Amino acid sequence: MRAFTYTRAKDATSAIKLLAENPNAKFLAGGTNLLDLMKEDVERPNALIDISELDLSEIKPIINGANQGGISLGGLGKNTDSANHLLVRQHYPLLSQAILAGASGQIRNMATNGGNLLQRTRCPYFYEVAMPCNKREPGTGCGAREGINRMHAIFGWSEHCVAVYPSDMAVALTALDATVIVRSANGQQRSIPIADFYRLPGNEPEKDTNLMHGELITAIELPKNRFAEQSYYLKVRDRASYAFALVSVAAALEIEGNTIKQARIAMGGVAHKPWRALKAEQILVGKEATEATFKRAANAEMADAKPLTHNAFKVELGNRSIVLALQMAVNGGKA
Amino acid sequence: MKDIPKVTGTPINRIDGIAKVTGKAPYSMDHPVKNPAYAILIKSTIASGKIQEIDATAAEKAPGVIAIITHQNAPKLNVKGGLRGGALLQSPEIEFFGQHIGIVVAETFEQARYASRLITVTYDKKEPKVDFDNLADQARLPKDKEKADARRGDVQKALSQATYKVEEVYETPIEHHHPMEPHATIAEWNGDHVTLYNSAQIVNGAQTATAATLNLKPEQVRIVSPYIGGGFGSKGGQWANLALAAVAAKYVNRPVKLALTRQQMVNSVGLRQHNRQKISLAATADGKLTALVHETTTHCAINDEFIEPCGDCSKVMYDTPNSLITYRVVPMNLILPTYTRGPGKSTGSFALESAMDELAYKLKMDPIAFRIKNEPDRDPSNGKPWSSRAMVQCLQEGAKAFGWENRKFEPRQNQQGNYWVGYGVAAGTYPAHQRPTSALVKLKRTGDHVAATVELAAADLGTGTYTILTQTAADALGLPIQNVNVIIGDSDLPPAAGAVGSVGAASYANAVNDACVKLTQELVTKSGKQFFVRPTAAQLMRSEKITDFQTRVDSKPPERAEDYSSHSFNANFAEVAVNKSTGMIRVNRFLAVTGAGTILNPKTARSQIIGGNVWGIGMALTEESVVDPRWGNFVTRSLADYHVPTNLDIGQLDAIFINEKDEHVNTLGVKGIGEVGIVAVAAAVANAVFNATGKRVRELPITPDKVL
Amino acid sequence: MDEHESPELTEEEKQLFADLMPDDLAEIMNTGVNRRHFLKLLTLAGGGILAAQSAVAERVLTRPSRETLPVELAPSSLENGVDIGLKVNGKAHKLTIDSRMTLLDTLRERLNLTGSKKGCDHGQCGACTVIVNGSRVLSCLTLAASCEGKTVQTIEGLAQGNRLHPMQEAFLKHDGFQCGFCTPGQICSAVALLDEAKKGHTSYVTGNVRQPGGPVKLSNEEIRERMSGNICRCGAYPNIVAAIQEVHSGKPVEQVFRSA
Repeated sequence: MRAFTYTRAKDATSAIKLLAENPNAKFLAGGTNLLDLMKEDVERPNALIDISELDLSEIKPIINGANQGGISLGGLGKNTDSANHLLVRQHYPLLSQAILAGASGQIRNMATNGGNLLQRTRCPYFYEVAMPCNKREPGTGCGAREGINRMHAIFGWSEHCVAVYPSDMAVALTALDATVIVRSANGQQRSIPIADFYRLPGNEPEKDTNLMHGELITAIELPKNRFAEQSYYLKVRDRASYAFALVSVAAALEIEGNTIKQARIAMGGVAHKPWRALKAEQILVGKEATEATFKRAANAEMADAKPLTHNAFKVELGNRSIVLALQMAVNGGKA
Repeated sequence: MKDIPKVTGTPINRIDGIAKVTGKAPYSMDHPVKNPAYAILIKSTIASGKIQEIDATAAEKAPGVIAIITHQNAPKLNVKGGLRGGALLQSPEIEFFGQHIGIVVAETFEQARYASRLITVTYDKKEPKVDFDNLADQARLPKDKEKADARRGDVQKALSQATYKVEEVYETPIEHHHPMEPHATIAEWNGDHVTLYNSAQIVNGAQTATAATLNLKPEQVRIVSPYIGGGFGSKGGQWANLALAAVAAKYVNRPVKLALTRQQMVNSVGLRQHNRQKISLAATADGKLTALVHETTTHCAINDEFIEPCGDCSKVMYDTPNSLITYRVVPMNLILPTYTRGPGKSTGSFALESAMDELAYKLKMDPIAFRIKNEPDRDPSNGKPWSSRAMVQCLQEGAKAFGWENRKFEPRQNQQGNYWVGYGVAAGTYPAHQRPTSALVKLKRTGDHVAATVELAAADLGTGTYTILTQTAADALGLPIQNVNVIIGDSDLPPAAGAVGSVGAASYANAVNDACVKLTQELVTKSGKQFFVRPTAAQLMRSEKITDFQTRVDSKPPERAEDYSSHSFNANFAEVAVNKSTGMIRVNRFLAVTGAGTILNPKTARSQIIGGNVWGIGMALTEESVVDPRWGNFVTRSLADYHVPTNLDIGQLDAIFINEKDEHVNTLGVKGIGEVGIVAVAAAVANAVFNATGKRVRELPITPDKVL
Repeated sequence: MDEHESPELTEEEKQLFADLMPDDLAEIMNTGVNRRHFLKLLTLAGGGILAAQSAVAERVLTRPSRETLPVELAPSSLENGVDIGLKVNGKAHKLTIDSRMTLLDTLRERLNLTGSKKGCDHGQCGACTVIVNGSRVLSCLTLAASCEGKTVQTIEGLAQGNRLHPMQEAFLKHDGFQCGFCTPGQICSAVALLDEAKKGHTSYVTGNVRQPGGPVKLSNEEIRERMSGNICRCGAYPNIVAAIQEVHSGKPVEQVFRSA
């Protein structure tokens, strides 16, 4: 771990200013991924600005604006608090489940909402500095593309990077059409729809998101929805808990009678960003909520998958997982 | 004064438990030393070749750095001193990825870690030999004579004539021990003597190997290892890091703390190698085995050979007139493999017991009945009688307790919601041996109060050594357990066997018992009296008004033990639920019924067995170390990538012990249980997965993708 | 299916135990050892076993603590020094630390509190779990610099004098460990977990997260999921679950030692 200066931020404005002044500075919130990466020498900030004590952790209803009737999660709220807040549990159980599917109790107590969104890939080639990795060191090549890539992407990868994005929380947020609220050094606030927040690797895999240096995530807004009754977060992994997803599916439905009025599906573990399954959603809307419909939707989405050497199974697994998650959503969590 | 009731065989709490639950038990890095410096190892980033140049300029200038030691300035060490795996900074040659190539010593841990990142190395690279799949056909005969082909009868003929046979290949991946305590050492010199606080399953072995490596006499090296944070074989033989801690401390002339990072564990302290095992079984229509062939192909280090004995179970489990056990090995640019829990037996039994299940299915026989049908009345490999063998009883008791009658013979018949449910059985064994061990017992009397101290260089890595020795000594001396103090884990104590290969309990408990018996006899002699009922040592101390008395014994296994074949046996039952959509597997229930002779403490014994079961479940479902064949590095180098089971992975585990009196194996009839717990677990789980889904997975671990 | 029902002692049995060994009644009541076996044990032992166990407790707990004064470093050993004040196990400490120093290394290397363990140093094992301001966290991923003004509880701070915390007692009784290296983290995690249950926290295995809050009764499956951030390589999981269930439910969980 490189030496760094440590500054405890007094308020958001001064924190943002400090960060903006130094291209090698980083915010420290929960630290669960940043310190991990600093110990690996992957992240090498020369200054940490500790924002963990800033007053940006409130969870509250949104009373006006585009997301009126929805809720706002403070950027520095702890994952545990978000997952357990009654507003979240009641109205966005999908988000509660997704948060709780990630990491461990201890880590969720430390990790913040904003920090969770900014997790970096767990690709082992990214983590080991002796290996080539375009995300860590642009131009060195992708170790995983022709290497061990069982855990890697089947959608949207490029020859420069086949890593997958690791967060569970962001998969649910993607399904729920969340908006990321950020503040920058000039005091401006900007709202980034979550679909525009994450990127595919393309030629610049070093960029995980469209957040700019000096911007601070102050809140995450969730619009009002009618999915609370019928949603489910399914996570398939190599062990029962405390492991990253092979494939995960956030599924949410609004059903009237037996007809699907609205559908939201996002997948984790399959791409460089939470993968919104728009093709599947389109097939579902207006149809009856039957297994046959679910299978058609899943097939449509997975037809575009491009597996690598070791992860062809993710196509079949993704297919089945979409179907199961939709069934679980319809049946209130039971298969 | 009334007799003190016997405590051996009762489930007393762990004697060292309070130290453990209060955080006071000192593990390697917990021993207080004055003014320590901190060392970090630097590792190679190629798997084969030679170091051209090490540029440490930046690191030397980094704040707090005291020394950088590489092959260019390291002292001359004896590479054949007995430490495993090489990597002692004696030459620029690189034999595997992650070989130690230097040590950074600094004032603080943070400074050492930072400086270690500033060192750049240039290499002459060679193409590494690391791709087992491509190299397996170059495998040669082992150098180890014990791994020579073992043949009985004519297997080819039996196989060619058989109607019922199984010929399949079973793969087990590289696995790592990953004890919770990474290997770590504090080295502190006093003149030309060095004290090494270092977890050691074999205390005396660590001492002699380190001394020889450092070109010292054994008495110049003291190993202190009162608590061991798990070992599972990786802390049996010791590795370069132990000697390098001593080297660093000498170099900087102050105590040095050297801990491996978790990521460094994958190429510092051995591994369980990838085994490719072909099993060929033949049987008559009524289920009598006519041939058993077990052919293992594996890999070893480029310049050193270790092969786990995968064929061992196949030598002793079943009665068959024709048998062939072979090994072939290919040297590769990976660290030397080593003993890993249930070495050879757990991997070998996965192959053998899966094949037995496959053949039973072909024969339309219940797999328990099939095994009982082929139960040998003597050890088939050497003709010796069993000292005891409870295999059939284990299977029968287990079937009853587990509810085996509810198993459907055909797979995919038991559906519960979105899960296929299946039952599997597998039989396990592990040899029982007592090894030479010395013990010193000291008695001290104050008034009527008699207290004992028991000393030997034994090891407790969570196995229960402190507890069972307290029980053994208390009973043998006639003392309550609170008057017995067991001191172990220090090479200054009388030499003892290692806590390896399930020899610990038998070796230690018999030695302590022998010492107590000898001491009592000496007290009787000293008294000059004749007793109709023999008094206890404690009573003699009081009646003869002796204040201090001690004796030492050098204990050996009884000579007649060699006339018998001695093993622990168990039957393992698994119930699994396989998610029909996702392929995720859960072991709902697991039962191990074990015949292991005398059980000294049912509480710690049960823990040993279920701990072995958890290991086996990890082996069956989650654990795999993956090498990138281009560079020879492990891509699974952290506990996030290498999946050991979590709490949620483990369902209900039960253990039953057969009340077995083995009068031949050793004086106390103790067989050992540390290894047998894992042995047949993976096969039981794999067999249950077949019974649930109809899918036969012959390649561990059985991850969701393999059962889709 | 996996819950070993705890045997409630009958009034007669309680009386019997009280007559036999009045001093140890409380202990027996808390020890879920299978009844028949325990009766046998009692006849054999006349109370010696339990007495002996508490004698061992006495020996360990009164052993002089290795805790000494905080280790002060020469200024040259500090880079980007940060002054912090924090309270550990009720005791206030002020020290200057390298900004890179984690809470775990501060506890172990500067405050001589070596109970918290470094199993992976990357948040992948839970051996370093401590309780900061009432929440269980990983001290290996916590910068000490960020702990200014905070209250830290470690394994060393759980026992009150010679009296073990109920969770420590339950781990001891149920053999919730083997090598013991993960144990401090397991116990700190378990202690904090009970508070989370009281606060009504939910988990990934909770059937319906929409059910309103309030204290929750944890099934063994809930305990397993909530303890999955603490790896035990020795495989003591079933015993850990039994220990936590016993403290959580307030009822003894039976220990069964089966032989045939």
